[in-house]
Amino acid sequence: MEFEICQIARYPFIEDAKNWVKKEKIDIQEVLYEPIYERARARAVERVEQALKYGVIKEKALLDEIECMMEIFSYPLARLIVAAVESEYLVRRYALAEAKKAYESLKKEETAIIQKIAREFGIEAKDGMVHFSDYLKFAPTWDIKWKLVNRVMDKGYVELSNDEICRLIQEAIRNKIQNELFYMFAPPDINKIFGELISKLKNKLLAKEIKKVEGISEKDYPPCIKNLIAAIKSGMNVPHVGRFTLVTFLNAIGASTEDILKIFSSSPDFNEEKTRYQIEHITGKISGTVYAPPKCATIRTWGLCFPDELCKKANHPLLYYRLKRRKNELSKEKIL
Amino acid sequence: MNYLRKKFYEYYLKADIEAPYRIERREFAFLFFNESTMKRHISFKNKEWLLRYLKTSIPAHVYYSSAYYNNPSAGTMREKKWMGADLIFDLDADHLPNANKLRYEESLERIKEELKKLLSFLIDDFGFDEKSISIYFSGGRGYHCHVHDKKILNLGNQERREIVDYIMARGLDYSHVIVERSIYSKTYTKTIEITPSSPGWRGRIARGIISFLEEVKSMEREEAIQLLKSFDGIGDTIAQDIYDGLDDRRMELIREGKIDQMAAIKRLLKPLIKELAVKLHSSTDEPVTADIKRLIRLPGSLHGKTGFRVTRVNLNNLEDFNPLEEAVVFGEEMVKIDVKKPFKIKLKGNDFALKEGVVKVPEYVAVFALARNMANIF
Repeated sequence: MEFEICQIARYPFIEDAKNWVKKEKIDIQEVLYEPIYERARARAVERVEQALKYGVIKEKALLDEIECMMEIFSYPLARLIVAAVESEYLVRRYALAEAKKAYESLKKEETAIIQKIAREFGIEAKDGMVHFSDYLKFAPTWDIKWKLVNRVMDKGYVELSNDEICRLIQEAIRNKIQNELFYMFAPPDINKIFGELISKLKNKLLAKEIKKVEGISEKDYPPCIKNLIAAIKSGMNVPHVGRFTLVTFLNAIGASTEDILKIFSSSPDFNEEKTRYQIEHITGKISGTVYAPPKCATIRTWGLCFPDELCKKANHPLLYYRLKRRKNELSKEKIL
Repeated sequence: MNYLRKKFYEYYLKADIEAPYRIERREFAFLFFNESTMKRHISFKNKEWLLRYLKTSIPAHVYYSSAYYNNPSAGTMREKKWMGADLIFDLDADHLPNANKLRYEESLERIKEELKKLLSFLIDDFGFDEKSISIYFSGGRGYHCHVHDKKILNLGNQERREIVDYIMARGLDYSHVIVERSIYSKTYTKTIEITPSSPGWRGRIARGIISFLEEVKSMEREEAIQLLKSFDGIGDTIAQDIYDGLDDRRMELIREGKIDQMAAIKRLLKPLIKELAVKLHSSTDEPVTADIKRLIRLPGSLHGKTGFRVTRVNLNNLEDFNPLEEAVVFGEEMVKIDVKKPFKIKLKGNDFALKEGVVKVPEYVAVFALARNMANIF
């Protein structure tokens, strides 16, 4: 089964898309400079801007073959723009947005098409069953619903609905695009055409990355917390327990909901309302229960511990923070 | 040469060692008698070189990596280049509740029960072929289970942790295993539906609840109520309600998966799940199974703290396997030892109860006592 052009336009990252471009014998120079491809270039800009602004790229009605063609070409152009901005955050956010877009279309496809695309990512989906090893590679298991233990599994195969298989594919697409973009080098021509947008994005993202929580001594955080912050800022998918550890810790040292939100706002799937609710739940503003940060042993159990020398003296992240602060304050006094 | 080392030497001279699959891709590590630092980052191109090493350096403990490396003898992980890893489960008596109160033989039996549960998860739920599973008595206080299957070779830490969580029922959401329904007949009654024929945890828990209630029904009233009351949140009234309610008609419904004593059953759920899950590890050494780069004892090697051999257990023979016979490799020749700490042990079917002072014992007892540091050679 080969995909038709309108299908390729919806899933421009699949093998058939590459083959189609090859067959059409159109090269990137042409798409970059020829006036007839203006629509593809405009859509490329739209892809990047929507990804950044909404975290998802909206589907476009494709009425004829030319529109499909423009849609297909807009994808490699958008990727080149993202690569040229050289921001890890943008790469992650864009990859997620493309993946979400594909997910929205995939959900409406017939089973055969879902299976074919799944196979491209190494997921064998037969009669709604996926082998657990494929499942684990892509399932968002930080969400309790997706933990393997909460799935029906028989003889190695996990039962999934079509929607859920699409969700796995979404994750696979995100991985693929993200990994490709991290190693992609944008040719200088891209700056000639999209220079204005690229420098605008560069400035915007740079400002975002230097935004910091103030009033709190960030350098005194234990390594596990620093690690979590770095992971969230660079847009990695941090497991629920990691987010929990971070929020409880920051709350305990006196950070406000706003301060904590600021950190999470750099996450590519940031949803302010949802995050605020979760933070306020953990910090007791909604639930009435103020959760304490977990102790070191627990953090270790969760696989989030990356100890340094000082960690030997602490069994709790808050103790580490206090020890380090005291140490730094003492050394300050000495200097004075 | 000290006695223990000499005995180990004699063993390794003619030992039948089972070389791990792709031995040239594994890192080996050794601990020696009277040395506390581990010698690591060693690799062997084949079994012959490994055997030669064992004979010439006579280690007290032999380990190899569950991982396959491009360059196993390199000093850092980065240079080693990880290529994949087998899945290893470590079942140790230390993971049992009240571990220190159990006698050695008892704890080994209890661990065997855990092992049976683990095998059921691996075969029924995860669908591993029996041929890809190997079981070994660890030579110490437990069993190791190795899974060698290309499907799991490349799974990372996070994915392996999910497998462990599955087997330990960690993060299990109750609403996934039982379905609550309201039934209307005159008034609304809340009921639970369970499906004993389901695969995975859903069926496991359903069967667990049913067989537990069958057991309760078969007991004397007093005894049953005591048992029920041992569960958190169940007092006299609820315990009596459950027991008295288990008439034949209701038992029939329960076997079909329909349970109407919802509040009570829900209290049983948590402890029953705990019973059905495998006690894979105490909280402190949790990451071991999930670790993609851990070291495990080499099958056929000797455990330096007991003198027992790491011994393969045939899956079909698990029930009859007695480590304190089959992992004992030393001979009957009588040796004089000076017992420092009295101890009791049953080895090769013989009971030994040794008091302080000099005694004559068979070589295999002497090796055990010396390795445990409970005696000296006289």
